Amino acid sequence: MDKKILLLMGFLGASVLVMVIDVSLPNALVDPLIRILLLAIALFLSIMAFSTRFYTYLLLPMLKQRSRHVVLSTDDAYWLSAGQDAVMHREGILFAATVLVKIPMYVSATQMNPEEKLNFTRQVARLVALSQEPVRFTTQLHMMNKDNYIKTLRDTINEVDTMEAALMSGGTVSEPEQVIKGKSSMWHHMLDNVASTPSFELVSFAAVSARSPKEFEAVAEAQRRAREVISGISAVFGVSSSIVTGSEILKFVEPEYSIPYSTVAEQISKSVREQVI
Amino acid sequence: MVSQDTLVYLLFSSVVLFFALANIGIFGPLSFAAYFLMAVTGIVLGMLAFADFLLFTFITSVLGITFEPARNYKIGKHQDAVMKFVNGIYYATGYVTCNLFAYVFKEESIIEGEDERQAQAPDIWERAIMSIPFPFKFNVISAARDTQKVRDELEGKRAYQEFQLSRAYQSHSADQTGITDIQRKISVIQAKIDRISRDEQPVATLMYVETTAVGVSEAAAGDALTAQIKQLELALGGFDLQTTRIVGRELYQLFNYNFSLPTTSAEIKSAFDTEE
Repeated sequence: MDKKILLLMGFLGASVLVMVIDVSLPNALVDPLIRILLLAIALFLSIMAFSTRFYTYLLLPMLKQRSRHVVLSTDDAYWLSAGQDAVMHREGILFAATVLVKIPMYVSATQMNPEEKLNFTRQVARLVALSQEPVRFTTQLHMMNKDNYIKTLRDTINEVDTMEAALMSGGTVSEPEQVIKGKSSMWHHMLDNVASTPSFELVSFAAVSARSPKEFEAVAEAQRRAREVISGISAVFGVSSSIVTGSEILKFVEPEYSIPYSTVAEQISKSVREQVI
Repeated sequence: MVSQDTLVYLLFSSVVLFFALANIGIFGPLSFAAYFLMAVTGIVLGMLAFADFLLFTFITSVLGITFEPARNYKIGKHQDAVMKFVNGIYYATGYVTCNLFAYVFKEESIIEGEDERQAQAPDIWERAIMSIPFPFKFNVISAARDTQKVRDELEGKRAYQEFQLSRAYQSHSADQTGITDIQRKISVIQAKIDRISRDEQPVATLMYVETTAVGVSEAAAGDALTAQIKQLELALGGFDLQTTRIVGRELYQLFNYNFSLPTTSAEIKSAFDTEE
């Protein structure tokens, strides 16, 4: 039987039992205060019984741990499947596999006339009604990780600066002086621009899940559902979607991937500078 | 609006309450205390059924109860954000409903001048995106419903409203406001039936927005998250949506949806109060 129903029955049974004891005790033997105490216990158990409607996931850990910091799970929130194409999550005896499907849409309302805008909205409505099984459609705005780009820019600047230094010390260089100075100025400006403001990326994707007692079965079923979604997306928008794999999945699951560490560090130091200077 | 499941739970949980009420005489001089306890229980059950997020967050805030839903994650005592601590920085993730009605999923509403509104939607969306300088996710969990089943349900509802209307006409004490209200309900149901007749697929949806803020401490990340959520609500205001910050058990549920989605509509219905 479902854990939720068992808990409900347990609390309700205990509540009724306490109340029956309370009522059946003879008046001569029992102080009214004890009756009130038994009533309070029975009513408390009734409240607990109702709480199982939504709070089953909390009640057992809370009762077991009796602590103000309740640990619901000590496992990692998820892991990637062996093929690195699904997000895996453990739910009791079941494995839940979630497959993400990227929707490559590169259109803007500024390029559409009113009729195209109306058609686009209707296409989105059709997309949402794609499957009778639940599908999550997500549009995610996240900060781009420009660390590698900035590193490449810095390397280029170092190279140009070295050439400029060689020129100043009277050495021979392969390019004319004006070209080297122009390059140096250009790359410095580019670095200032790129590093000073965060860049954002807007990505849309769909997600479907499947559950099974066996990990590979859950993955296979989720993949099947994802393929159905892919063909639906192709039919609606005429674009070729693909399953998200490998480290790209992290961008859609981990909060720290939506704000890269370097950007956060820059934001914090900027805020400190603004407060102090 | 509460679901049928919740009403069944409420009925079962109230059995002891009614039993105690029927035997109030046994408490003798302390009957007033028994009445008081029963009243408190009734209020608590009512709150759990209709606004459990208020009671739950109140209890966790007062007692300082926090939760660890998975390794490296923490839900604070106010139950309004999921915290993650990485590289000395706190990442706070919060959720906001984006449905026409809070905490429910609902079929698309019938709005006059719908074509113009739909044509404006891409512009409003792009303006909203351009005004948001932080990461966020707009999520729609949807499941298409069986067209014939929905049509039958709607026809049943229309027949009931038509019966109500005929009763209102026959009644001598019928007021015009009540009749207009029933007529409005019938026209809304009819419009839904007409849309289904035009090959439109009825859909059950759950919409919410997720955003993440950072800070050097839990409090700083939480404050930044609150500011971001206010900004999001402003930015999405153009869609004429009712937005509500999600707290309590729904927060935990939506956090889990990042790793494991519901596989049937019934699963979503059992996790959230729904409106048909």
